[in-house]
This record gives sequence, C-alpha cells and structure tokens, in this order.
Amino acid sequence: MRRMRTLGSRLLGFFLRDRREQGLDDELQSHLGLLAEENIRRGMSPDEARCAARREFGGVEQTKESYREQRGLPFLDALWQDLRFAVRILAKKPGFTTIAIATLAVGIGANTAIFSVVHSVLLQALPYPDSKRLTVVWSIFGTEGRAPASGPELVYLRERSRLFEEFGGIWAQRGALTGEGEPEHVRLGLVTSNFLSMLATKPELGRFFVPEEQGTYSAKSVILSDALWRHRFGANPRLIGQSVRLNGHPITVVGVMPPDFKIIFPEGSSVPPEMDAFVPFASNLAQDPRDQCYIRVIGRLRKGVAIPQAQAELESIATQLRSEFTEFSEQALGLQAVPLHGDVVRNVRPALIALFGGVSLVLLIACANVANLLLSRANERQKEITLRAAMGAARGRVIRQLLTESVLLSCLGGAAALLLGSWAMKLLLSLRPAGMESLVATSFSLPVFGFTLTLSILAGILFGLAPALGTTKLNLVESLKEGGRAMAAGKQRPRNVLVAAEVALGFVLLAGAGLLLQTLASLLRVNPGFNAEHVMTVRLSVSGAKYQTPESAIHFFRELQKNLAAANGIDSVGVTSHLPFDDTLPNWYGYYWPEGAPKTEQNTVMADHRSILPGYFQSLGAQLVAGRDFDPIDTQENRPIAIIDDNVAARAWPSGSAVGKKLNVENGNFVRDTVEVIGVVKHIQSHSLTDQVRGQIYLLYPRAVRAHMAVTVRSNIDSQSLVRLIRREVANLDKDMPVYGILPMNEYVEKARRSARFTSTLAGIMAVIAVLLACTGIYGVASYSVLQRTGEIGVRMALGARPGEIFALIMRQSMLPVMIGVCVGLGLSLALTPLLSQLLVGVRAGDPLTIAAAGMLLFSVGGLACYVPARRATRLDPIAALRYE
Amino acid sequence: MRPPRGEVLQGTLDLIVLKTLDALGPLHGYGIAQRIQQVSEDLLKLNQGTLYPALLRLEQRGWITSKWGVSDNNRKAKYYSLTRSGRKQLATETESWERMAGVIARLLGAEGA
Repeated sequence: MRRMRTLGSRLLGFFLRDRREQGLDDELQSHLGLLAEENIRRGMSPDEARCAARREFGGVEQTKESYREQRGLPFLDALWQDLRFAVRILAKKPGFTTIAIATLAVGIGANTAIFSVVHSVLLQALPYPDSKRLTVVWSIFGTEGRAPASGPELVYLRERSRLFEEFGGIWAQRGALTGEGEPEHVRLGLVTSNFLSMLATKPELGRFFVPEEQGTYSAKSVILSDALWRHRFGANPRLIGQSVRLNGHPITVVGVMPPDFKIIFPEGSSVPPEMDAFVPFASNLAQDPRDQCYIRVIGRLRKGVAIPQAQAELESIATQLRSEFTEFSEQALGLQAVPLHGDVVRNVRPALIALFGGVSLVLLIACANVANLLLSRANERQKEITLRAAMGAARGRVIRQLLTESVLLSCLGGAAALLLGSWAMKLLLSLRPAGMESLVATSFSLPVFGFTLTLSILAGILFGLAPALGTTKLNLVESLKEGGRAMAAGKQRPRNVLVAAEVALGFVLLAGAGLLLQTLASLLRVNPGFNAEHVMTVRLSVSGAKYQTPESAIHFFRELQKNLAAANGIDSVGVTSHLPFDDTLPNWYGYYWPEGAPKTEQNTVMADHRSILPGYFQSLGAQLVAGRDFDPIDTQENRPIAIIDDNVAARAWPSGSAVGKKLNVENGNFVRDTVEVIGVVKHIQSHSLTDQVRGQIYLLYPRAVRAHMAVTVRSNIDSQSLVRLIRREVANLDKDMPVYGILPMNEYVEKARRSARFTSTLAGIMAVIAVLLACTGIYGVASYSVLQRTGEIGVRMALGARPGEIFALIMRQSMLPVMIGVCVGLGLSLALTPLLSQLLVGVRAGDPLTIAAAGMLLFSVGGLACYVPARRATRLDPIAALRYE
Repeated sequence: MRPPRGEVLQGTLDLIVLKTLDALGPLHGYGIAQRIQQVSEDLLKLNQGTLYPALLRLEQRGWITSKWGVSDNNRKAKYYSLTRSGRKQLATETESWERMAGVIARLLGAEGA
C-alpha cells in the first residue's frame, strides 16, 4: 500500500517534472533568503549574509540532485534522457534511420501479418460456447476413413456414451423458399434439435428447436439465418410464429440465428459454413436404415474428459455395435473422436507453421541487415563514445544508451510494420485457402498488437546488442589516438559473419519457396480428367410440390438440356448430381461389387455415386477409355446401365475388360440395383487435384433421381450472355425455378489449388524479400570496405596496381562471406526443407535441382551486389584516394 | 572544548522531522532546520540541504503534507504539517527508538560493569 503510494507519487513526480522543479527552486530560494535575513539580523552585511547562508545550507545543486532522485524514478529519468538523445541521434541521420526502419517494418510486418493469421486460425478458440469440449465424431468404415453416421448410430451413441454430454448432427441439404416474391434457393441444414444450441448460446430472436419437433415426419418449424431474415423478410421481428413456404409446404418460423453464426466444420465434411435455414430431422432417426450414413456428428465431452478417454469409450461402443448388428459388422464400423478445432485446421496447420517459420527467417535477415548498418555507423560514432567513456560514463550506461537507440529504432519499425501488416493482411485474406475462410479476422487484435510490440523490442535488443558490446569494448588511449580508423579493420569480421548468415538464411527461404512454387506448377500441369476451360455451371433444385413425381424432374432436366443444346454457340450440355471439387453438397458414396461376388469381396470397392444425363462427359471434355457413352435412347428407356471410371474398373476387374460386366449398385435412394457396365471413363478428380480419393460410378438420372443438380454448359459465348440464356431457358420451363451457384468450372479447379497458391505465393514473396535484404547487406558491406580501404587502394594504384587487380581484390574479399553463406545455406536447406514434405506435390524436399538453382541465384545476385562497389574502387582517382582521410 | 559535532544518524532524520512537526505544528523547511539546531544545541551537524529529500520522502509516504504559505517576515514558503498517519508513524518510531536506545544503554551499561 505504502509502496504503491510512493510509486504513484514518484510517477507523478516524473511526469510533472518541470512544475515541481520550479517549486523546488522556489522553496530552496526561500530557505536561503530566510537564512540570509537571520544572518543580517546578527549583523552581517547582505553579501556576507548570503555567502554564509549558502555555506550553512550546503550544496544547492547537490540537494536538488538528491531531491530529484527521490522525486522521480531514476530509471525512467535515465530512459527519458536516453530516448531524447536517441531521437536526436536518429533524426540527425535521416537516411540511415529510414533504411533501418523500412527494413525492420518489412521484417516485423511480415511476422505481424502471419501471426495474426496463426492467432485467429490456430490459437484462438472457435466462436462456440465452451468450444474446447466440442469434437467431431467420425464413422470409420474399414480402411475407408472418415464418413458420416447413420440415424441409428447417432441414437446408439446417445444411449451408450457416458463421457459425452450430448451428440448433435447435421445434414446439409438444399431447398426453395416460395410464396411471396421470387422463389429463392436456400441452403438448408437438417439438424438434430440440440445441434444449434451446441454451437450458439442463444438465438437472435425466438428459440432453438425442442426435442418434440424432431422426427415428426414433416418438419413444422424452421430457424432462419440472420442474413436470410434480413434480405428476404426485411428483418421483420414479428416473423416469429408466422408461416413461410419451404419446398412448397407451410412451415412456422420459430427463431433467427445471431448475425455472426457460422458452421465451422472440417474441410471435406460437406457442411458449408453459411446456411440459410435450419429444420429438424423429419424422420425418426432410430428407425432409419443402419447403413444409410449421412449425419455429420459432433459431440460435447463432459467436463474434464480427455480425447483418449473418449476415444476408448467410442471404440468399445463400436465393438458392441459390430457384435449386435450385422450391418455394422459388414461395414467394419469404427468410431473416431477428433477435437473440432484441430480437425478444422488440420489441413492448414502445416502450411501456417511453415510460413511462420519462413517469416521468422525474414526477420532474422532484417535484423542482421540493421545490425550491419549499426556496425558501420558505430565506427563513425567511435569518437563520441570514446569521449563519453573518457569523461567517466560507465560501460553499462553507454550500452544502455545504445540499446535504447536500437530498441527505439525497432519500435518505430514495429509501428510502420502495423501499417504494412494491415496491408499484408488484405493480401492474405484474398489468398486464403479453404479451412481459413470461416476463421480469419480482418482486424488486428490486442494479442497481435502485443506480439508486434514484443517482437519489436526483442528485435531491437537482438540487432543492437552485438554492435553495442563491440563499440564499447575499447581502449581509450588507442582509439582517441587513432581516431577510429584502425578500429575499422578489426570490425570487418562481425560484418562478414552477418553477411554470411543473411545469405545462409536467404538460401533456406529461397529453396523452400522454390519447392513450393514447383508444387504449384505441378498442380497447374496436372490433368484433372477433364477440361475446365469454357465450361459454365449453374445449380438447379427440383424440390417442392411441382416435382413430386420423378417423371416431372426427369422431364424438366431433359427438356432444359435439349433446349440449351439447340441454342446458338453452345457446344454441349450436361446434367450431373455432383460437380468436381464442389464440397457444398453431401457427397454420396458406398460399396459396389461385381454381380455374384462372394460376400467377402463385397466391401472392397467404395466409389462416389454420380447421377447424370448423357452429354455430361462431352461437356466436361472427359475421356472415354472403353465402351460407349450414354445416349438419349438409354435415358428414354431407362436402361439398367452404368459407366464406371478406370479406378473402379481396375479394382473390380483387375484383369480383363469391365465393359459388359454386371455391377451391384445402390440407386442413391438406398435401393439396390444391378446394372451393366457399358463404358469406362478416365477418372475425374473430384476431391483433390492429386489424390484419387475414390473412384466414381455414373448412373443414368432416371434410375437415380435427385433433387439438387448442376448443369454444365460448354460454349464459346461470353459468360454474361450465357448466364442470361440459361436463365431464360429455365424460366421458359418453370418460371418459379431459382437459378443459383453460377460459377465457371475453372473456379472450382482453382479452389482446389488455392492452398498451394497461398503457401507458394507467400513463400515466394518472403524469398524475394530475403534475397533483396541479403543483397543490400552484401552491397553495404562491400561499399563500406571500399570506403575504409580508400587510402590503401590509393597507395596500391600509386605503386602501379592495375584496375583489374583492384577489382579482383575487392571481389575476393566481398564474395568470401557470400560463398561461406551459400555453403552453410546448402547444408541448412538440406536439413530444413524436409519439414515442408507435407506441403509438396510433384517434387521432393531436398530436390537437388531446386537447391542448386537457389544457390546459383544467390551466388550471382551476391556477385552483382559486390560488382558495383568493386567497379567503383577501380575508378578511384589515386591522388584523391591518397588524400582521403 | 566543544564536543565534536555528530552526523545525523541514518534513519533518525525522519524521526526528528516528525517529532519537530508534532511539537511545533506546521513549519517550513528553514524553521525545521532552525529547530533541530536549537534543540541539539548545535551538537548535530545538519547539512540543511539534506532536509529536503527527507521531507519529500516523508510526503511521498503520506506522513506529512505541504502547502505554500507566507512566512512571518512576508516570504513565500512551503509549510509542512503532520498527517494522521504521520502521527501514528511517529508513535511507532518513537517506541522502536526507545526500545533500541534501551537495548544499547543496557548493553553499554553491562559492558561497563
């Protein structure tokens, strides 16, 4: 308490220095006056009296000094002094200061930008209540990896688990809002009644679902997203309790979600972050077929339960289920719990960590550069510092002064970095890949600010310490005598070490960036099994009262396809249930097996299930490798036929042709069917550009009717008129049909490359910055050494050295640290690039060509940076050089 | 011969100042210095300047407060006065001083015997 009070008073004393100083002076003057008056009374003359008073009082200045020490905070006072001095020093050399601040701003700014992404994506908890206890619960079928769960599975989980507080599930669907105004397509989430309350504390309006609303066989209540409520219903607060028409049926609005609500689910789970409306599951989940897997399940762990415990419990539940139900044992069902946050960032974490490592190297290089600048300036300041030491400044005090200068410098750099960082953030946001979309905050938060500040101070100490220690370690007599010239020669060594370090670190960045750029290049080269150029895609949903019968849906798409194909400039038109690389609709997949295969082989080929109309392959430019394509007659006669891709063909019939063989399938509405393979198409990459996740089976639309379809149009018409044409043709057939999801096929492919583009672009930028910084470093040291050796060069020239010899002398001396740096960098790159393995495609870490290219590039750029000062040395006028002092 | 003037013992200056203010009421720095010299009959050598950092220290701890005023002979001066917590502090310090003095006295007495 007392200490706090003293500190408070001292702080006040520090800030009110000037006023208090005046007060102190007044007080002491009054004391002296009183003393003098007393002396006069005793009979002294006024002059005598004043002298005696001063004697009696003691030293006025000493009193003031010790009073000041007591008044303020000596540490702060000294810091204030140092800071003011530092500002003067920096202001005196605007060129040096600007270069140093700019270098640091780039180094720190890059770190700020990447850290703000790392912070919001990896460190910050998901915006859900108690989100640390949320897990995704995946079903594992044999070796097939993560899959959704069936209704009964979810029910059994709820009944049997003791370590989970609750389980919820969602299935992303599509629907249409009709009634007043334009019909509107909506992204619809079918959810368990507790799902929304697991992810949000309370709705913006109304209420969440209650358990009684689930399993009523036709949904009666709906919760809207804030966005839909605003743009379709004008944010009408009285909408709650009113009825709207969804898919042609009346349904009551019971709630509106908060504006910032997003569903952040792992990539590949087919649950888009933005949903327009939610309805409870209509079916009784317990009575669903056990092998109909579509529910994406999340669970909330009880307090204090760790993932391994939960996993053990899930495994024992899976064992029970396998022994109790044949469907589960046939599927070889397993269960897996993964933290929701960890699963969401699973794919972006390695890239972010690599980038974070990269920017720290950039900062190190920036620091080395500034340290070099400081070193060359320290030589200029040698005299000033020596003088101070000679006048009795303690070494610690001088070091503190120099460190204050460098920390001030780096804090100024940090401030500039915040500006630069906010610009860099815009770049990052425009490049961010899937998995970050739902996460990245656009503004700097307090932790980011704190990070930048800490980094600035640390950087200031890092690059300031060595020069400060070096400058203050001196021999007074020698250095006063030499005037700083002899010192310079000895100082070349730390400067060379810094240059070598810069080159080595730049090498690592360059090699890493090279590998990542080659990854992007190989992704651009890769053939996805189709040609995305000139293909436009739109989505259409045939749901609602008009399309109750499959015939009406089939009729609609066949007519639309026929009419579009007849239009001028249109090459081909296809209709499909799933577009490649589109993750917004649930993917359908299951087991398929050759007719008559023994039971043991029935679970071997898992494939994606696609429902198409003839013309799809042509419109995408897919390649038929055997047999024939579907034709319109097949559609008309609704023949039991299928086309499979080479992946399925190779696995189902490893030897011999697949064409003409019979295959056991499921028609997409969970009805078994046996179809004849009429053709084999080359695999169309659908989930990743590089991995064949699953093969594909294509059925004719009439045999596997779906509500949500996409139309693919290949044409040479510009996209705007094409979209107008498509809208017109759709309206001709059904004026209430919303057209949505208008996107060129290229965009889908680009989305699949986004993550690689993100990392390689950023790594490329970092490498360019690193090389530029290293170059300025090399150039600076070479120029400086020419400057230092001007006199010597003059002597050599006067003694007859030819320009070529001078040139070689400087080049040799300046390139030595570059060469050492390249050698060290080579080793570092070989050691460090394997950390990138996870991110590389089509090139392996430590690729000799890439690394050799990086070394060559650095070497030649370094040579260029030395060339200019070396040339300058050869052009010195010997007379002027000799006089140079 | 006059006995040699003693330095003010470290830490006792606070006690002396507090006691002075307690006895005489609000007083300026010069007055305090005069009083100390008067009471000690010039036995204590007080460098009057050292009074000021001590006054500041006491004020920072909240034991005394200060206010500008006018002295008897019409000079602007800063007057110090004891606060309530200063009075309490004076009591504790007096007590601990007496205890200390007693111990020292006994110690010296015992040695003498």
